[in-house]
Amino acid sequence: MADSHTFVLPNSGHNFDAKASKMGMWLFLLTELLLFGGLFLVYMIYRYLNQDAFLLASFELNVWMGTINTIVLLTSSMTIAMAITALQKGNAKLAITLSWLTILAALGFLVIKYFEWSSKFEHGLFPGMDHFDALPLGERLYFYLYFFMTGLHALHVIVGGVFIAVVIRMIKKGKVTKERYSLLENSGLYWHLVDLIWIYLFPLFYLIH
Amino acid sequence: MAEKEKNTETTSAHEHISSYAEHFGTWVALILLTLMTVFISTFGADLRTLTVATALFIATVKALAVALYFMHLKYDAKIYTAWMIVVMALFVFFLIMVILDYITR
Amino acid sequence: MTGTAIEQPSFFQAKKGLFSWIFTLDHKRIGILYLYSIGIFFLVAAALGVLMRLELLNPGRDLIEAQTYNQVFTLHGVIMIFLFIIPSVPAVFGNFFLPIMLGTDDVAFPRLNLFSWWLYILGALFALSTLLFGDGPADTGWTFYAPYSVKTGTNVTMSVLAAFILGFSSILTGLNFIVTIHRLRTPGMGFNQMPLFSWALYATSWIQLLATPVIGITLLMIVAERVFGIGLFDPSIGGDPILYQHLFWIYSHPAVYIMALPAMGIVSEIIPTFAQRTIFGYKAIAYSSMAIAFVGYFVWGHHMFTSGMSGAAAIVFSIMTFFVAIPTAVKVFNWVATLYKGSIDIQVPLLFALAFIFNFLIGGLTGLVLGALAADVHVHDTYFVVGHFHYVMFGGAGFAFFGALHYWFPKMWGRMYNKKVANTAFALLFIGFNATYFPMLILGLKGMPRRYYDYLPEFHDLNIVSTFGSWILVTGIIVMVINLLAGGLKGKKASANPWHGITLEWQTASPPPLLNFDKMPELPKGGPYNYPNAKNADH
Repeated sequence: MADSHTFVLPNSGHNFDAKASKMGMWLFLLTELLLFGGLFLVYMIYRYLNQDAFLLASFELNVWMGTINTIVLLTSSMTIAMAITALQKGNAKLAITLSWLTILAALGFLVIKYFEWSSKFEHGLFPGMDHFDALPLGERLYFYLYFFMTGLHALHVIVGGVFIAVVIRMIKKGKVTKERYSLLENSGLYWHLVDLIWIYLFPLFYLIH
Repeated sequence: MAEKEKNTETTSAHEHISSYAEHFGTWVALILLTLMTVFISTFGADLRTLTVATALFIATVKALAVALYFMHLKYDAKIYTAWMIVVMALFVFFLIMVILDYITR
Repeated sequence: MTGTAIEQPSFFQAKKGLFSWIFTLDHKRIGILYLYSIGIFFLVAAALGVLMRLELLNPGRDLIEAQTYNQVFTLHGVIMIFLFIIPSVPAVFGNFFLPIMLGTDDVAFPRLNLFSWWLYILGALFALSTLLFGDGPADTGWTFYAPYSVKTGTNVTMSVLAAFILGFSSILTGLNFIVTIHRLRTPGMGFNQMPLFSWALYATSWIQLLATPVIGITLLMIVAERVFGIGLFDPSIGGDPILYQHLFWIYSHPAVYIMALPAMGIVSEIIPTFAQRTIFGYKAIAYSSMAIAFVGYFVWGHHMFTSGMSGAAAIVFSIMTFFVAIPTAVKVFNWVATLYKGSIDIQVPLLFALAFIFNFLIGGLTGLVLGALAADVHVHDTYFVVGHFHYVMFGGAGFAFFGALHYWFPKMWGRMYNKKVANTAFALLFIGFNATYFPMLILGLKGMPRRYYDYLPEFHDLNIVSTFGSWILVTGIIVMVINLLAGGLKGKKASANPWHGITLEWQTASPPPLLNFDKMPELPKGGPYNYPNAKNADH
């Protein structure tokens, strides 16, 4: 497109700019924080208005599964952070291995989530099911929020996992390297956001007592 | 705000690299905090408001650990920390104003 | 070989064919794509407005049923707000001119920019699809208040998903602009040497980025209730519809600053050029944009004074609402001060800028009436509100958009429109606009409620005036559009700098080449508006 006669500005928007790339990702994370923030706000209000109901409803959740899931996610945050360190030190292979471990942890999280949700269905505790409709007012609100928030969170886990998988492929193809690792760094930032949201979801839903 | 370097740059220019040890240490702290919060809620006294406050406090410490170390905010340009503070403050403000409505009804 | 530089082809000529447009990465083409899409939707929504005014010409049923009327005003609002005003100045003129005014050749993320436009089109299709099936478009008003929005059989889900998608388009544009402003300014241009349009876009982008996600999740909650029965606002199970209103207005109030700030940025560009002197109080105007963005987050409750919200909260919101008027007033004073002793050239863009000041003044002052809790109780949900917001959004932001169109037209297309016809269109628009909306302020004070297709006989006379006004207004729109189209197709070729402006876009060809500049742009010495011959220039 640009031949040798075409003037190119030094501050061209078409150059690769690692700082811009990182800045863009951070700005996107801010939007995600406010997106979930809206749900957290609704949760806080309804919990304030229905304190006993929320406590009772929370007994349906399994604290140990929640704790294991928390540990799984925290570990996955460590592995992706280490993957970035590895690539920065030039060790692409280790970076790829650690990234795969992160994806493995993501899958583990989703499997445990699946078991948790299944047990709710088995107890008829899903909007539309009999037991659910018979629940007292505040408890239904708790479960609406539970399914909406953990569901939206799980969606972000999937997206994050796919993002990391794409980055692994690009490391293998030599497009993400020690000199140019923005994409890995950004996938890590996104993953940490997923972790951050769970750090708040866990005590608010599982540890009410 | 004035940029001294050209905008065509790679990521390797004199950037801090977190060590594996630092990440591992952060992970240990996070696990301990998690176990602590579970312990408090399972075996601790039944103090309604304090339970929420304690749980949120510990969650915030964990969140700070993730943000400062895993997300590298401690070593990055100050502007990212500034933005995070602004967004958190905004969220807290929304929360306070909405709660104000419900408390004073 | 030869001594003369080869002139670059304009960005229009760089590539040809439909695909080179809808898959373009050139910010200027994306700006024009937005212009055409936004223009079409503006005309559709304007037609809906004319239809409403026809129905309101006389009391009782004139043309359409009550239910249809509800759908018309809903669609009018949804299109005007989400498909016209919110994107308008940033997506069209921000995209086209921000990089050029910063002295760079594109935005930070060109592909994301194109994606934003595709999202816009997708959202538009979702919104328009509601006309085609089921019980037709939503009849809830553009505010989609629960519980009605959750219960009505009309196509709320599609409308709300449309708004969600359009919200993402807006967020990504804001993100792109923030990074562009931080990273791509030309060497020597610090934040305090940027044009004020850039400051306006910066402040706006922060609102787009931080406020839009809140309405995004709120609308998803509406969808969740309609589709999955997840009733988060259902009072029968302990939910609160007022919580919906809180979440909705936490975005929608800052949204009005998304509409107003870029428009004010336009005025800040036009006035120095047609006064041929530097802006009075550059920093005050720049920082007031940030102040408006900041304070704008704290006042949303003034839309909810009569909703059932607590009195204490209402008082707090009312107090804070008064504060947001202050930075706006600063701008108005500074614009007027800029004109004082300037070398005034009365051209169409300046007329639109002056009309902005006049209309926004009325809109802003009526806003103070609405912000005062005790007064608002009497005029909430009356035509006073309708008059107020049309004065700021149409008379303000809309007129600024038209002004920008006339100001930058020669730069974008390399041609000039017929100025006499443009002046005529302006007159029709200004007179028509005020004839349409001023009566509404009086009608509201007299007690005529909004969103009704019928009214009491005592309101008849002023409604006649308003409807006649709408015909003058629409004539003005048509004359303006035809004049601009004719100008674009066969107007006289325009020079690089027909208005003798001093910001960087006037240093390059009309239309600009693909990479915006064919040599390094030169910053004006002493400030972005430092006209060398002006009495207040920094020599």
